[in-house]
Amino acid sequence: MSRRSGSAANQSRRTFVKVLAGALLFFIPGKTQARSLLASPVKVNHLRPPGAVPEELFPAKCIRCGRCAEVCPYRSIKILDIKYGVFAGTPLIDVEEVPCYLCMKCVRVCPTGTLRRISQEETRMGLAVINRRQCITWRGVALCRTCYNVCPFKEKAIHLDQLRPVVDERYCTGCGLCTHGCPVTPKAINIEPVYSFAEKNG
Amino acid sequence: MARKYGNIRFFVQFLAFLVILVNPFLNYYWHFNFVQGWYQSLGIGKLWFVSPLEGLESILVSKTIYLPLLIGMLIPVLVAYYLGRVFCGWICPINFLCELEDRLLRLLGLKKRRDLFRLPKRTLWFTLIGDITLAMILGAPLFVFLSPPGLVGREIMMAVFFHTLALEGVIVIGVLVLNLFTRRFFCRYFCPLGGLLAFLGQKRRFRVVRLREECKECGLCEKACPLGLSPERGENESAYCWNCGECIDSCRFEALSFRWVQEAGGEKR
Repeated sequence: MSRRSGSAANQSRRTFVKVLAGALLFFIPGKTQARSLLASPVKVNHLRPPGAVPEELFPAKCIRCGRCAEVCPYRSIKILDIKYGVFAGTPLIDVEEVPCYLCMKCVRVCPTGTLRRISQEETRMGLAVINRRQCITWRGVALCRTCYNVCPFKEKAIHLDQLRPVVDERYCTGCGLCTHGCPVTPKAINIEPVYSFAEKNG
Repeated sequence: MARKYGNIRFFVQFLAFLVILVNPFLNYYWHFNFVQGWYQSLGIGKLWFVSPLEGLESILVSKTIYLPLLIGMLIPVLVAYYLGRVFCGWICPINFLCELEDRLLRLLGLKKRRDLFRLPKRTLWFTLIGDITLAMILGAPLFVFLSPPGLVGREIMMAVFFHTLALEGVIVIGVLVLNLFTRRFFCRYFCPLGGLLAFLGQKRRFRVVRLREECKECGLCEKACPLGLSPERGENESAYCWNCGECIDSCRFEALSFRWVQEAGGEKR
């Protein structure tokens, strides 16, 4: 597939869609703005389920059948509604609320390949990033290592460097267990969806 | 004899509706994962069904092909090819709700109403083409998140899982209100899925056949048809017929019946 040539067409398509979305806005109450109808709901700590195709392709490929949300035993996966515009009906995980426990059930039921069939280790929902100014261990206030303890790939994805947690991007799956566990508010470790938009930038 | 197919069909529709009604509860409360989804994509164990239009939109818009998707679409497509729009008539939850509405009105003793608004039947094709074109322009499969047949399932699932209803559910209410004025107004003219199934079912083997010798041309079948088709004018052989069997039930002279036609097209009996 030619990503290069597609981006220009995508731009003009976006503007066209914006005009159309503005017209549609009339019917959608609430604080929705034309921009949010096309803006991806994926942001820090709000991630797609494991194996998701890049965000650019996601709304096109997903048929909104909701089977991933139905099989998810932890109820991590939420289904978006029409307030998210063209992303209505797509699955999203809010890791602050319920993180992904990497049971990989959703990946196995997706009928469209929007969630690719991958293993636990290959999952890249995002990348955990430690805010060293927030983290009480890094600040030297206390000896907390909750993120290290809850990490499913302990010693690989998160290891301790002089008792302070350090993330290794080679192994971090972005499951969000560390974010969920982090006792500090606002969270000192957050999942950045760095892989969702990778192809668009690169 | 009276309403033979009508009652069987209503029972089948009820069972089909029960699947999407009970299934979220099984999944949510008992973690019984054997069946998932609704009529956008239904998974029963290892057997997957994918609604043909949703799958087609997904393939066209994302320009990628995924083999399990094609395999999932195979059975619905074959069913539509041989049996016609039977999904619409016998399974679709929207048609079930409309049928329920009709039956309630009949129970309340309201007189059978005439169809108020009528559009050319061709509208269905324009809907299908328009839907696919618009989806490709927008870059997002439109029908998949605004399709009334799928919305019913999603609303039930949302209610069970998240104790809330999605806003787009108003479309379903709109469809049901329109059904009050013209029976199956949405299904007749504006359902792209119905359009695709009708297109696939043009040469269907299973169809309603009229015996010309028996027919007294009384016009009862046309009144009974929820799609406003007239078997007397041969419209039972057209692509639009969804094989519900209402006309067969209404016929007093047994001039109409379901037949398995050997050859597609011609005047076979």
